[in-house]
Amino acid sequence: MAEHNFTSTKDYVASEELMASVNVAIALQKPLLIKGEPGTGKTMLAEAVARSLGKKLIVWNIKSTTKAQDGLYVYDTIQRLYDGQFGEEGVDDISRYIKLGKLGEAFDSEEQVVLLIDEIDKADLEFPNDLLWELDQMEFYIHETKRTVKAKQRPIVIITSNAEKELPDAFLRRCIFHYIAFPDAALMEEIVKVHYPDIEEHILKNAMEAFYEIRSMRDIRKKPSTSELIDWVNALQIGGIPAQQIKTALPFIGVVVKKDEDLQAVLHKAD
Amino acid sequence: MFQKFFHVCKAKGMKITLSEWLTLQEALDKGLAGSSLTGFYYLARMILVKSEVEYDKFDMAFEECFKGVQSENALTEQMLRWLNKEEINEMLQMEEKQWLNQIEEIRVDKDDVEQKFKDRLKDQDSEHNGGSFWIGTMGKTSFGNTGGNIGGVRVGGRTGYQSAFAVVGDRKFRDFRDDRVLDNRQFQQALRRLRQFSTRLDIPKTELDINGTIDKTCNNGGCLQIVMEKPRKNAVKLLLLMDSGGTMIPYTKLLNDLFQSVNKSNHYKDVKVYYFHNCIYSHVYKTPECENGDWIETEWLFRNLDSDYKVIIVGDAAMAPEELYSTSGNYRGPNGGLAGMDWLLLLKKHYKKIVWMNPKMAPGRAPWREAETAVKEVFPMYKLTVDGLNRAMTTLMTQARR
Repeated sequence: MAEHNFTSTKDYVASEELMASVNVAIALQKPLLIKGEPGTGKTMLAEAVARSLGKKLIVWNIKSTTKAQDGLYVYDTIQRLYDGQFGEEGVDDISRYIKLGKLGEAFDSEEQVVLLIDEIDKADLEFPNDLLWELDQMEFYIHETKRTVKAKQRPIVIITSNAEKELPDAFLRRCIFHYIAFPDAALMEEIVKVHYPDIEEHILKNAMEAFYEIRSMRDIRKKPSTSELIDWVNALQIGGIPAQQIKTALPFIGVVVKKDEDLQAVLHKAD
Repeated sequence: MFQKFFHVCKAKGMKITLSEWLTLQEALDKGLAGSSLTGFYYLARMILVKSEVEYDKFDMAFEECFKGVQSENALTEQMLRWLNKEEINEMLQMEEKQWLNQIEEIRVDKDDVEQKFKDRLKDQDSEHNGGSFWIGTMGKTSFGNTGGNIGGVRVGGRTGYQSAFAVVGDRKFRDFRDDRVLDNRQFQQALRRLRQFSTRLDIPKTELDINGTIDKTCNNGGCLQIVMEKPRKNAVKLLLLMDSGGTMIPYTKLLNDLFQSVNKSNHYKDVKVYYFHNCIYSHVYKTPECENGDWIETEWLFRNLDSDYKVIIVGDAAMAPEELYSTSGNYRGPNGGLAGMDWLLLLKKHYKKIVWMNPKMAPGRAPWREAETAVKEVFPMYKLTVDGLNRAMTTLMTQARR
């Protein structure tokens, strides 16, 4: 498997364990389940994996209304009804009205792809269970056309979850699990530097201290994440704020703290 | 290979199945662990552990197997057996207890008690009944059971005094999830009041409106006109927080009824149930056993369950004063730097609609039940009866943010 190993890319910093998890998941042909706080780069991981391995990325974004079926295929009955009214040609050909979903697309692809099932916990509780067979066997059956769609190349499946809902045990058993811990100061510095290589040392140091202090405050409802720190550092850089003012004046704090109540709490502490 | 590790993991309460274990074997066969222990550690963890809350258990199991280090804080079976003496319990008369109490001080400082308990746990090596130093029955130290000392660490046995700080080693918390058949229809009826049908939910029009379609198609001279509508759904989201164990044991059946009713009422948009022990602190437990570690952070609740959740807290609000007002009042787990009362206030601040259901509420103000009176000031409190539940549900549906 040496030639297919995933490594940190130019703009994505992955920890050793994370890289190991990706490679084990690929070797064992099992879905990789990634959990972690929002903004720790769960979604970006799939992009990095795809780029690092030179494969196409297919993203299936899960919403609260998403059904497992949507990922396999959709039979557009209503279009067919309409077409039937006017005697369009090819109405008897059901396959014209079968549209493959993202999972179907990944199976049907000639080349191996990376399939990202993003935020699986947003969907209904039973959603992951409905996909057990499909993810295990990498195939599904279209009743209407009596066709079985089987993966030509087993896709690399990466699943992310924000832990909003508990995932079913049966589903978890089939996954390789990795929890992305919130980066510590050293790793964070490295991450910010990947995005802004020539950031001034003082700005970064002060911004990070303020950032970790805000995160440690108890009454903060939405803890700022990595991506917010990166935006903030950028704003500070562009605004040309002197480093020593960062911790006292908290300029552009709206980039980091998004909720009204949190803003009040932070400003209150700063006084 | 590594059979022992599998069993230790199981013993630590991790839910590992054979298929996961076989996956690990497969991974080892493929040489994915390299040849280092660290490699094996990460490999085993990513395959066997499926939630970050279990990482800790895994670490303990790993340490035990591969370093030979035994953790020492658990009570030994032996010690629990010395303490389980039903017959003595019955023998002991009230007068005797009073007599014993006069000798030993009644108020005990909790930290002091805990420290002594730990020390003695280490030193004790035999059974003790009726002494004044070791952990045993009928004694007058602050540890053990059937003793005359009010306030102290109770070890095994049955509850005599309700104010014992800790019920160390007591694994007898009842599981409310037992699927017993109960006549809880009345509760279910009351819970049906929590209903707020909404078609204004942010969901797409996915249901075929058959009547609408027929109407439109007819009006259209037989040409098909399809009408879709939004499904009607109950928009109520419910968060149930239940006191478990300790002083609530006499009310197990009642709580069971309530839990069953909520569980069966599948018409809510979402129902979350968590447990706490006496008062809510920085963590709430996922199961009624209230095992440390099997919990989630209370702040996680705040972040993930928005303020629209209707909250029902069930508990007898019979905390000791320090459990409510001291920043180290939680004897079973972490306090999170805040006193119990502050956590309750945070909860109130976050959720718009909260009621407290109390199975043994005193009518009106009850000066002898200090904690209950204090909690009443924070949340509207109702007795856990069908009538009380009805009134509480009305409050949940109408109560405006105070």
